[in-house]
Amino acid sequence: MTETENLVKRLPNDIGGLPAEPIQQVDHQLEPWEKRCHALADVLDFHKIINTEEKRCGVEALGAEMIGKLTYYERWIVAFANILFRKGILTPTELALKMKEVEARWPEGVGSPPNGRNVK
Amino acid sequence: MNQPDQSHGHDRDHAHEHPHAEIGQSERPGYYDIMETAVRELLVERKLIGPDEIRRQIEVLDSRTPALGAKVVARAWVDPAFRARLLADGRSACEELGISFYDDTGLIVLENTEKVHNLIVCTLCSCYPRPVLGLPPDWYKLKPYRARAVSEPRAVLAEFGTMIPDDVEVRVSDSTSIVRYLVLPTRPKGTEHYSEEQLAALVTRDTMIGVVPARAEIGRLAQ
Repeated sequence: MTETENLVKRLPNDIGGLPAEPIQQVDHQLEPWEKRCHALADVLDFHKIINTEEKRCGVEALGAEMIGKLTYYERWIVAFANILFRKGILTPTELALKMKEVEARWPEGVGSPPNGRNVK
Repeated sequence: MNQPDQSHGHDRDHAHEHPHAEIGQSERPGYYDIMETAVRELLVERKLIGPDEIRRQIEVLDSRTPALGAKVVARAWVDPAFRARLLADGRSACEELGISFYDDTGLIVLENTEKVHNLIVCTLCSCYPRPVLGLPPDWYKLKPYRARAVSEPRAVLAEFGTMIPDDVEVRVSDSTSIVRYLVLPTRPKGTEHYSEEQLAALVTRDTMIGVVPARAEIGRLAQ
């Protein structure tokens, strides 16, 4: 089998049966934004805006490089944005402007929010 | 959310001056954090989702832990009629115990026996019986487990310290977005006198994924 043939037969998520490293029994407490992202996925599913299979396909459509480099919930939120663009629910410009607005809630160059607590 | 900050504690100089200050976002949010906030706020502004729905769903997620699955397993161990209903229709049997399914997923409960050991996986992503177990551990979502569980389950089980005798069949079930699985482990020997509550305490998350068997407490075995 050629190298490209394998790419055609296996999309990035389709890894069942491939050789892989030993299992590291890792886990982590979700960050607040990760938990919000998970809840958002459920709510999008409840409203039939994005279902679980669309989400999975949306992650796969990010391509192997992003799948490899982004973390689990990073992949989810980027996939949601792309799916919402594709469905005409949001536009990239609207999201970019809103992200700028959200970011502006934290003063430029300051590494912590207004109350200044819990700085790493 | 009210998730206490576990990594760096309170600012000792100021915490007492702001006893009611919210424990929350501790630093400038990252790119993906901002993206999540932006997507959510846009959807709320357009009334596609309600302003309180994310918070409410976080409460639902927080309410789901392996203790729910353990309650189901313990009931199945003590009540043969319930076990039969559970194996026939996992979802409705769980609902009987007051465990609601907040999504459209079906649940198939796989019974371990002396001759069959079950293991669950989601090779394509991370599908998991969340209504009864909560969120999956990271290792369940990562490549080594997803890739190898279906092709060399005995080697995978051995990495969890679980040795399955050759005369016991290993069955691996691959979850989908709408069909989820839960393993019903075998009841440990020597637990005949245990109460349902004591039995539930032996049922861990990993026993219901199928990577380890349920065991009577080591302390009790030693007695």
